[in-house]
Amino acid sequence: MNINGLEKTKTFSFDRSHSAKVLFKRPDKFREIEDLSKHNRTLINTGSNLSYSPLGFYKDSISVKLKKFNRIIDFNLKKKEITVESGITLSQLLNFTLLYDLWIPQLPGYPFITIGGAIASDAHGKSCALHGTIKNSIKEMTIFHIKNGWLSLSEKENKEIYNLTIGGIGLTGTIVNVTLKLEEFKNKNFITYKTKVNSVNECISEITKKSKEKDSFVYSWNMAENLKSLGKGFVFQNKINDDNVENFKFIPEEKKNKFLPFLPIWNKLTLKTANWIFYYLNNSSNHFQEDDFTSVIFPFYGKEAYFKFFGKKGFYESQLLISENTIEDFFDEFKFIYKKFNPTISLFSVKNMRGTQEFLRFEGNKICVTFDFINNKKNILFMSELDKICVKLKIIPSIIKDSRLSKKIVEQCYPEYSRFRDLINNYDKKRIYKSEISQRLEI
Amino acid sequence: MKYLIVGATSGLGRELAYTFAEKKNNLVLAARDDRDLQAIKSDLSLKFRVEIKTISIDFSDIEEINNKILYDKEVHKNLNGVLFPIGFMVDKDNLLLDLKTIQNIIFANYASTNYLISKFFELFKNQEFTIVGFGSVSGLLGRNVNINYAAAKRALESFFESLAFQNKKKNFLIQFYTLGYLDTNLSFGKKLNLPKGNVKKISEIVYKNRNRKFLKRFYPFYWRIVSLLIKVIPFNLILSIKNLISKN
Ligand SMILES: Cc1cc2nc3c(=O)[nH]c(=O)nc-3n(C[C@H](O)[C@H](O)[C@H](O)COP(=O)(O)OP(=O)(O)OC[C@H]3O[C@@H](n4cnc5c(N)ncnc54)[C@H](O)[C@@H]3O)c2cc1C
Repeated sequence: MNINGLEKTKTFSFDRSHSAKVLFKRPDKFREIEDLSKHNRTLINTGSNLSYSPLGFYKDSISVKLKKFNRIIDFNLKKKEITVESGITLSQLLNFTLLYDLWIPQLPGYPFITIGGAIASDAHGKSCALHGTIKNSIKEMTIFHIKNGWLSLSEKENKEIYNLTIGGIGLTGTIVNVTLKLEEFKNKNFITYKTKVNSVNECISEITKKSKEKDSFVYSWNMAENLKSLGKGFVFQNKINDDNVENFKFIPEEKKNKFLPFLPIWNKLTLKTANWIFYYLNNSSNHFQEDDFTSVIFPFYGKEAYFKFFGKKGFYESQLLISENTIEDFFDEFKFIYKKFNPTISLFSVKNMRGTQEFLRFEGNKICVTFDFINNKKNILFMSELDKICVKLKIIPSIIKDSRLSKKIVEQCYPEYSRFRDLINNYDKKRIYKSEISQRLEI
Repeated sequence: MKYLIVGATSGLGRELAYTFAEKKNNLVLAARDDRDLQAIKSDLSLKFRVEIKTISIDFSDIEEINNKILYDKEVHKNLNGVLFPIGFMVDKDNLLLDLKTIQNIIFANYASTNYLISKFFELFKNQEFTIVGFGSVSGLLGRNVNINYAAAKRALESFFESLAFQNKKKNFLIQFYTLGYLDTNLSFGKKLNLPKGNVKKISEIVYKNRNRKFLKRFYPFYWRIVSLLIKVIPFNLILSIKNLISKN
């Protein structure tokens, strides 16, 4: 369907829990961004639409896709700064900066995520215990808002909107370009060390200990197929391999396994089998191995089958920020509801996180725990119980990852929810930028 | 080598700029909006380390063409060719269009190219010089929409054929491509009966053929068959078929 350069396409959230027929606009000229008001509809920005939650679309909004705004505008080697357009993907960015031994360290785990999407979700990478979220790499931005026009944003200029835009889930207008502060990154090869752990407690103390080491990215892979083996697994630690000075291989800019179909393979049995195979393979191999840049920084690249194996119904992810003081209580309560619902968990992982929580950003000096669930009734009930634990223990659930979260839960878990909503409403009085999630959260 | 690309900020023009820059050619990029030009300029020069000059120009304005292209020696210096991936369309280009708009369409899509080429024929007569024009399949047959645009594109094709006749003893390298829908913003969201052509592929083809003495081609290729059919079927018959289809 074509209405003045708009394309109507059925679109899914990455977890496939939500879909809608959405009108897309793909401007390739500045004038076309400014002309968006001609359509007289609400808008929402979209990057690569890789968010687990439906953040980049809404049935009544035009999704503004900045795929063609992916250019490098300025690069200052001396100052270690780069200005890029927001539609640039992480791989396109890194394939340029790494030639100069520079990067930003807050890289979410998939190479086709756009810088605009990463900023609007305040994304973090594997090294979030060291480097926090992408907020720490932003110097300034230029955004365009249909009613408020072009705005330069930084700590010095339009500070409030700058703050609302980072992690602002695309509601303050279109980020058109951004200046990033780059960091030196000489050697692009890694050694991955692994330590076996037998319980959740052991895993957390190992992660806490290892995360304090310089220049290492620490995270875990744990089993969760039953209560007995809950937490059993490995703590991985990626360290820069100073002995391997081989040039880095270009990061893929195109998807692998593009045509892999959605096959509903994951269930209790297949997951149990896959997890035990993974466990035994790791248990019987060396306690360290050499890894290249792509496999460490973008661990999901080439492993898309994991997501496809949930079938067309997809999955749910719950990512939680839990303070050190309550982590034990959390897992006690978790085990209690686990006993009751016996959920099917396909992924359980832990890492540390650094930062200060503000607005709807998933940030804080806390422990970050992730679970993936098959999309079925029992698991959804289990996740509702998890929500209650979050409220009780003041845990922050990720809006970016968990596409189910209700306004009620978000309001109770995010102390700054109302402040964010009020500031957005004040800035965009007509509430032009709307997504499925912003509507549900009544922002 | 150095090439001038007219209409370089979107669609085929933009892709040509990337293809030519990737192969280490310096470029002069001409288009209307300086913001778009500057963005492409920085990207190309940072990624491919080539020299880029930009000209922000309204191609329906003869004064601007003279001042910014013809009288600017920096543009001609060491220039090896010019490409015209330019297309100017307006909403409601139908029989009721006012004269000024008709003039603008004809000027931007036909006369300005014709004018520039005739001047370049003088300027570069002593060297090998590439001239690449782009027509449109919309010019194959009269139509209900974009009628002046289609007419201008048909005229352009005729002009390039004449150019080939004139070029017998000269060093010009003349190529003309008649383009069907490409996967650019112009066709974004359009559901078409025939598949869209790949803009990257046609850019590569243009680059590869840039030194051919004369070339006239359709892209995507199947438009050649359509064009042959249109030529052999009597127009009356085409008209009757068209009327029949629109009645149903
Ligand atoms: C396999 C995989 C691994 C991931 N790993 C991580 C991880 O390790 N850490 C992490 O933090 N996240 C991770 N994510 C989540 C991902 O970082 C975010 O969902 C990110 O927002 C996706 O970027 P996108 O370009 O697809 O944007 P979209 O999903 O299209 O959009 C996301 C949000 O950004 C807004 N937006 C996009 N572009 C712009 C713009 N130009 N201007 C204004 N707003 C804009 C949208 O409105 C929307 O609210 C992962 C996702 C996947 C699929």
